[in-house]
Amino acid sequence: MALAVTLQAPMCLQKEDGTLESRAGMEGFLREVETRAFRIAVISTRDAGEALDIVQDAMISLARRYADRSAEEWRPLFYRILKNRIRDWQRRRIVRGRVMSFFGGQEGEEYDPIAQAPGPTSENPLEALARSDAMDALEQALRELPKRQREAFMLRNFEGLDVTDTATAMGCSDGSVKTHYSRAVHRLRDALGEHV
Amino acid sequence: MDSESVKKDRDFEERTKLLFEQSVAALDGQTRSKLTQARYRALEELAERASPGWSRSWLPAGAVAAVALLSLMLWQGQMGPLTTSGFDVAAVTDLEILFSEEEFDMIEELEFYAWLEEQVELTSGEIVEDGIG
Repeated sequence: MALAVTLQAPMCLQKEDGTLESRAGMEGFLREVETRAFRIAVISTRDAGEALDIVQDAMISLARRYADRSAEEWRPLFYRILKNRIRDWQRRRIVRGRVMSFFGGQEGEEYDPIAQAPGPTSENPLEALARSDAMDALEQALRELPKRQREAFMLRNFEGLDVTDTATAMGCSDGSVKTHYSRAVHRLRDALGEHV
Repeated sequence: MDSESVKKDRDFEERTKLLFEQSVAALDGQTRSKLTQARYRALEELAERASPGWSRSWLPAGAVAAVALLSLMLWQGQMGPLTTSGFDVAAVTDLEILFSEEEFDMIEELEFYAWLEEQVELTSGEIVEDGIG
């Protein structure tokens, strides 16, 4: 019995150390990505509250499902989850908009007219530049890109993922990432010129 | 693609990255605080998952399911013998009826349905007699 106790105690400590290490690793990772993930979600949703919910949801999902994976895998997995959450949100918004228009624009309690109203995003990117707000102009130009090009640009340029990790996050091939990214850069350059 | 265009692309990419980083750095304290709270919620999930007793969170749901199953079996025992499968489909149907709003209407008009049943029996008796006759 004494032997069993002496053998078991270090194992427990080892497990606890592993758990603490895992928690510290995950905390460091989430701390590192949370602000940039939030900005990416805001660019996609134009709604800070929704963006916060989406980022929190993605964080919880990563911790729940992928904590056991190696830390190197977390970044592409996290951005894949984030991308899916943003898409789900956009789909729900489209469906909700259809339902609302079907019922003659009657709005439910959860329907946010401000989010639905055409805002400065409908302006030409150059108009936004005229307001001396380069980031607004960039965000506007990004929203006008096709979805896949926007995703590729934000993951590669903003988040700094390499081609392979971007492909994992987007669920496509390396070649597709290169194509989407290259097209995105050229379209953004054409839209914004040298002003950014 | 010529080298000039490549250089322009790279300059553009650097500038957009810088703009994005500046916008991240400019996030207000309230947003950062909310993001920290969100991170802690995710870490709570991790702690709960790592805990040896994490499955305890399923205990209340399991207990409710067990009680419901036991109640169903006891109730079924009063109503009649168990079928070979252990679950009588009719019993489940009865439960549906019990919880169905429409069936409460039927109970309120019980006399009418009793009369209707009598009429059906009388009519079918006549038909049988006609057939034999």
